[in-house]
Amino acid sequence: MSNPIVGLIMGVIFGASLVLTGLTNPDKIIGALRLKDFYAIRTVAVFLLVGILGTWILDLFGAAHFDIMPAVILPLLIGGAFLGIGLGLTGFSPATGLASAASGRIDAVITVIGMIFGAHVYILIYPSIVVPLERILNFGSVTLPQITGASAAFWVIPIFAAGSLALFITRSKEPRDEKQHIKAGDSGLSEEFPDPMSSKPIAIQKSLYLKSDCLKAACVFRRWKNLLFMVMLLCLLLNQASFWLVSTGQIEITDNTNNAAPAKESSNPQIFGYDVTFERLTSVLRIANIVLIFTSLLYCLIMYFGMGVSFKGQLGGLGHIGGALFMSLIIFVLLVPWQNFFGAIAMGATFTPNELARWCTTDISDTFGMALFYLRFSGYWTLVLLLLLLAQLRSFRWARIILR
Amino acid sequence: LREEELIMTEINSHPDDSLWRTVPLPWWAAGILLGLVQVLAIALVKPMSVSEPFVVVDTKVLNRIAPEYSENHPLLSDEQYKKFGYGGWFNIGIILGACFAALHLRTWKIRTVSGWWQRNHNAPVLLRLIGGFCGGVFLLLGAGLAYGCITGQFISGWTQLSLSAIPFTITLFAFGMLVAYLVYPKKPNRFSQEE
Repeated sequence: MSNPIVGLIMGVIFGASLVLTGLTNPDKIIGALRLKDFYAIRTVAVFLLVGILGTWILDLFGAAHFDIMPAVILPLLIGGAFLGIGLGLTGFSPATGLASAASGRIDAVITVIGMIFGAHVYILIYPSIVVPLERILNFGSVTLPQITGASAAFWVIPIFAAGSLALFITRSKEPRDEKQHIKAGDSGLSEEFPDPMSSKPIAIQKSLYLKSDCLKAACVFRRWKNLLFMVMLLCLLLNQASFWLVSTGQIEITDNTNNAAPAKESSNPQIFGYDVTFERLTSVLRIANIVLIFTSLLYCLIMYFGMGVSFKGQLGGLGHIGGALFMSLIIFVLLVPWQNFFGAIAMGATFTPNELARWCTTDISDTFGMALFYLRFSGYWTLVLLLLLLAQLRSFRWARIILR
Repeated sequence: LREEELIMTEINSHPDDSLWRTVPLPWWAAGILLGLVQVLAIALVKPMSVSEPFVVVDTKVLNRIAPEYSENHPLLSDEQYKKFGYGGWFNIGIILGACFAALHLRTWKIRTVSGWWQRNHNAPVLLRLIGGFCGGVFLLLGAGLAYGCITGQFISGWTQLSLSAIPFTITLFAFGMLVAYLVYPKKPNRFSQEE
């Protein structure tokens, strides 16, 4: 379908959307490069995420027409640098330059003329410079899934999830600006027209009610947060204790599938006169894992609502609760047992009993294997525990600030 | 609530404050729109790219004026760069679509400088035009070297999860931010007075 008419129609759609999105405005691009105006960054991020997801879905149905460029490192690095210089100097990319020129920008017209000269320079230097460069460090036309050997889903879904989450978390910037704007207008109005029936006292009363309401909510949240923290800590300790019990050989590993009776039943430790076998440990571990993941999710949500309440009631301590929220999110992400979804590529801090049994029964003789073993079961756990303690500490500071 | 409504209408009717919402679409809608255009392009023909027709135009000119030179040239003798097909019409479409959209939104206006330029360089128009020309040369030189411009390599490369997008992205943003910092050190008081 690569005929001129389709090209023209696609071009019309793309050009019109460039103008509609405001990316033709060089101020947006320069503001993005100077990290002062995040509109273009967010737009392009959504652009990429939708593109990646859509292309993947198209590929699943076999309807995608790929055109993958060769990964020749040196020309790509130099070309990227030149494009960066051009972008930073003008605020136009080739596509937005064309669209801007069409919407009446004389500087963009000049840039387009410059681009034609640039193409000329490229043609002149091609035989002497570009051809030799293409011979070294050429990896061919490959994609990231092809190199890593993983399926495309392994790349697309995490990228999409992480990108959307990042955009979602940072989204509230603009509405907040608007609210502040309204507030500024509010005070300006009442200063200009001093009116005995002005809204000022009502507003103060309202905000007081709001504040006390928010404080009550914050108290409830703090109580629940502490409870969840205790539950999480308990589950984590159970998790680690079971690992140490199994890895030091206190508990004999039995195969669940063929129901062979453990020969050394008597060697199992007894807690309160209760025989701890691997099967019982398995069920405890499973419950602990499920509880752990759910409580960590709830912990994140409590932090989020705490932040919302703190923001709405202007109680302060936003920095602390924000940090705690971020850490609790990391904890949640680390706790999810990714190994069940992606195989051995990604690991979560929680481990299933089967995994524990598999790791403990395989013989590990070399130092690297031992280090990996303890890092996976103990090091990872310590990291999560540390993060949890830090999150709790920061949210404790938040509670102290707002309830003072 | 009534007070707030009054204030809101006041703000909305005030001409200065209406400039706060200058861009027609919010960022998420803008991104989704552009992403869907890209997906449509991939479904119909191939990922979008803009820079190639510039090389094609120059190839055509050089083939006309210096046939002996272009016969031995590895790029000029390539059949891919001899026909002004889909890609060329795509670029013409961009020009038409952008012009139409700008006229429809009533943002079509002759302009020479941008807000950041005005703030930093006190608006000498000639310098902006010279800078624009040099930037254009760099843009297409870079696009040629990197097998695609920002649309063709950065957007389309990431969309297809191509390995080539990674080194390109690193230097693109490193140099872009550095040059933007050097050329536009001062921040304007209010973003985007137009469009």
